[in-house]
Amino acid sequence: MLGEPVLKYLITRLVQLVAVVFVISVLAFLLVHLLPGDPSVTILGPFDTAAARAEVLRQLGLDKPLPLQYLTWLGNVLHGNLGESFLTKESVSHAIAQAFPIDLELVVLSQIIAFAVAIPLAMVAARRPNKAFDRLSSTFTFGLLSVPAFILAVLLVLVFAVSIHAFPATGWTNLTSNLGQNLRSAILPSIALGAGSVAVYFRLLRSDLISTLQEDYITMARAKGLPTRYILFRHALRPSSFSLLASAGINIGSLLTGAFVVEYLFQLPGIGYQIVESISSRDYLMVQGMALVVAVAFVVVNFAVDFLLVLLDPRIRRA
Amino acid sequence: MPASQERFDRRRFLSGGARTVAAAALGGVGAPLLLSDCSSAPGRAVATPGVSRAAPRRGGSVKIGMNSEIDGFSPFSDNWDNTGLTYANTVYDTLTAIAADGSAQPYLAESVTPNGDYSVWTITLRPDVFFHDGTPLDAGVLVANFEAFKASPLTGQALAPVLSARRTGHLVVEMVCSQPLVPFPYYLSTQVGVVVAPSMIDPPAGTSPKPVGTGPFVYEDWVPNSHFSATRNPRYWRPGLPYLDSVTYFPIADDGARLESLQSGSVDLMISTNPSAVTTLRSNPAYQLVDTIHHHLGEPDMDFIMLNTAVAPTDDPEVRLALAKAIDYEAIVELFGGGLTQPSSGLFPPGSIYYAPSSYPTYDLAGARALVDKARSRHGGAISLDLGTIPDPRDVQATQAIQSMWEKAGFSVTLSQTDQATFIENALEGKFHAYTWEQFSAPDPDLNYPWWSTTTVGPVGGISLNFARNYDPEIQAALEEGREHANPATRIAAYRRVNERLALDLPYLWLARTIWSAGANDSVMNFSNPTLPSGQPAEGFSGGVLDPTPIWLRA
Repeated sequence: MLGEPVLKYLITRLVQLVAVVFVISVLAFLLVHLLPGDPSVTILGPFDTAAARAEVLRQLGLDKPLPLQYLTWLGNVLHGNLGESFLTKESVSHAIAQAFPIDLELVVLSQIIAFAVAIPLAMVAARRPNKAFDRLSSTFTFGLLSVPAFILAVLLVLVFAVSIHAFPATGWTNLTSNLGQNLRSAILPSIALGAGSVAVYFRLLRSDLISTLQEDYITMARAKGLPTRYILFRHALRPSSFSLLASAGINIGSLLTGAFVVEYLFQLPGIGYQIVESISSRDYLMVQGMALVVAVAFVVVNFAVDFLLVLLDPRIRRA
Repeated sequence: MPASQERFDRRRFLSGGARTVAAAALGGVGAPLLLSDCSSAPGRAVATPGVSRAAPRRGGSVKIGMNSEIDGFSPFSDNWDNTGLTYANTVYDTLTAIAADGSAQPYLAESVTPNGDYSVWTITLRPDVFFHDGTPLDAGVLVANFEAFKASPLTGQALAPVLSARRTGHLVVEMVCSQPLVPFPYYLSTQVGVVVAPSMIDPPAGTSPKPVGTGPFVYEDWVPNSHFSATRNPRYWRPGLPYLDSVTYFPIADDGARLESLQSGSVDLMISTNPSAVTTLRSNPAYQLVDTIHHHLGEPDMDFIMLNTAVAPTDDPEVRLALAKAIDYEAIVELFGGGLTQPSSGLFPPGSIYYAPSSYPTYDLAGARALVDKARSRHGGAISLDLGTIPDPRDVQATQAIQSMWEKAGFSVTLSQTDQATFIENALEGKFHAYTWEQFSAPDPDLNYPWWSTTTVGPVGGISLNFARNYDPEIQAALEEGREHANPATRIAAYRRVNERLALDLPYLWLARTIWSAGANDSVMNFSNPTLPSGQPAEGFSGGVLDPTPIWLRA
């Protein structure tokens, strides 16, 4: 089971997590007050009476002191009630429940693609550093890193959607509706989203693998006549993957926010697209709820990855 | 129907009507500038794009890319732009519709007849029509709909001249107006002509009503910013229609992404106002393209610069004249209209029955400079103004070009960008000098009454439906004449007078008319070929509004 240092670490991080989530909740709550314009005008339109506007503000609790508004809002949030869209009357929780799986799938798929490309490349490149394959791989991955997602997305659409009709240019099919169609709709956005990660993961893993392959125990393994492939997979990969894992944790959090651009370009109704649309239509509660979910997801993912690293790496446990 | 009501189209009427009904609150009045216009090229797989004379084939599903998303299905409280009106055509019916000859004809209504002076209108509904939930359509439902429209802050404005609705028979309703209202049937083909089931009129608090209409398709699901799906109404009151099993709409805000969606097969049909869509699809025989360049019925959407006539310096007629003369209209259209459209000089395009040459100024930089020099002393030296738009790349580029032209004439011009909702609020409250604007699509000019009337001019800081705050009693007199007289010649003369007065007052600096296009792959048949219940052709695609009822898919 978990030792005392790990438990202590876990409790400390949990306290930090709660503090950060509290700050996030305050900021998300204040979003409504930072956005321009009067929420009652958004709800009622510009033609209604001052009395009707005052009634709307009263119903929303926006006529109360700010701390009281926050506590009421927080209570509702903790009960899963994030309010409803001013415009569409859709429950914010329902909208998030529909949109978030899209982001989640995009991020997971993009990372699978990134790992699937970066790990084999790094392992082969690390075997013979600074040789032709290593240089080629480095050039290729840096090339991917230097192309912004919005450019890559456009290129992918032009080639794979418009020219050869292999994938749709826009739109999303839910995983539960049709797996094949779902993958077709997710593949181009996932590539666009994950391309940048390939270079990062490749560089990190290559560098750690080169370093690991110079360790004494690897020399011993080689001396014992173990095959190179076995040494790479069995003895070198795991100790070389901690930086990769830590980086992936941070990356996944940022990809949740980075997905905004990709979702907009592919017109995918994920959290990012919904936030952009909600901001432009000043749908305050939708913006608030979704921003809260994204921020909390970011923090929780990072916490989970940190914890995973503690479990995997005895050096961190002992630190 | 009065003989005077002859220049309509249903889709435009719907589109224009919705904007007219609700425009101040509607997003559609934002700024897209300078759209193109063209007809489809010959040599395509389909002889006449959007029109098929072949025997329709039943079944199948069509995916349609729309340019925007709606805020809901309630005709009483939601702002419908062309997408809203397309969705409305899917699940609802309007009491009247526009025939291909421009006349307003009964649709869900069996007849719409006026009394002798057009101040009382009698609407007789069709028998044996049922809503999707099985509720029968009768006069009581129609009266309840009317009362909901009247009570709505959004739609009440449009029905201001209609005082009451009274049930006089099982299927008969009498509507009493405060004055002769000759274009009344046109109103009935707009958002306020939609009839919804009683369950939608007074939904439980905090709920958003799902659409229950009498329309050709039944609501299946709507995920905002994702899609809206509807399936064939097996009990539709028009025999044999619709042909499709289902239709799904996808709101795709980005013009380029929408075009790519059509090209990749993600959608079968798409709507656009972007010239590049026209040029791309026109040159490719694999697609059908229908556009509104030769559409002369009623009044088109116009792209223009709206000037606030109630604040300095644009309250000065000479400043407005200088601003008008300083714009090189040909250059603007060439730069931003894809070379496909022409500069406008008024409300109506050549070809419209309302068109007549006007006194609208032409490009005259020297004249503009002279006027600016003359006006400087009245404005304390430099004449500074702000030109505002919404954050749309094409609009921003167009305002930069206009800024440069105005500065050449001696103005000091700043540019600003505002989100669309705030943009409209600022217009309503008069918090602007010059705004890029798009408005006025209507099958009958009377539907634009609120935007030009002196009765709707409000003070700066207060609400003014006459956004430009142009107070011109001559315009008001012409508007009343157009509204009250059935004689076509009188009405035409009245709206020509409105156009001429606007050319002199210069609250609007006309740029070009907005051109809508609908592009489809060659399997989508009849998307611009609707008919009326009488069998008479209805008007095809216009105003960005589609009617899915006649669409069918080629095998």
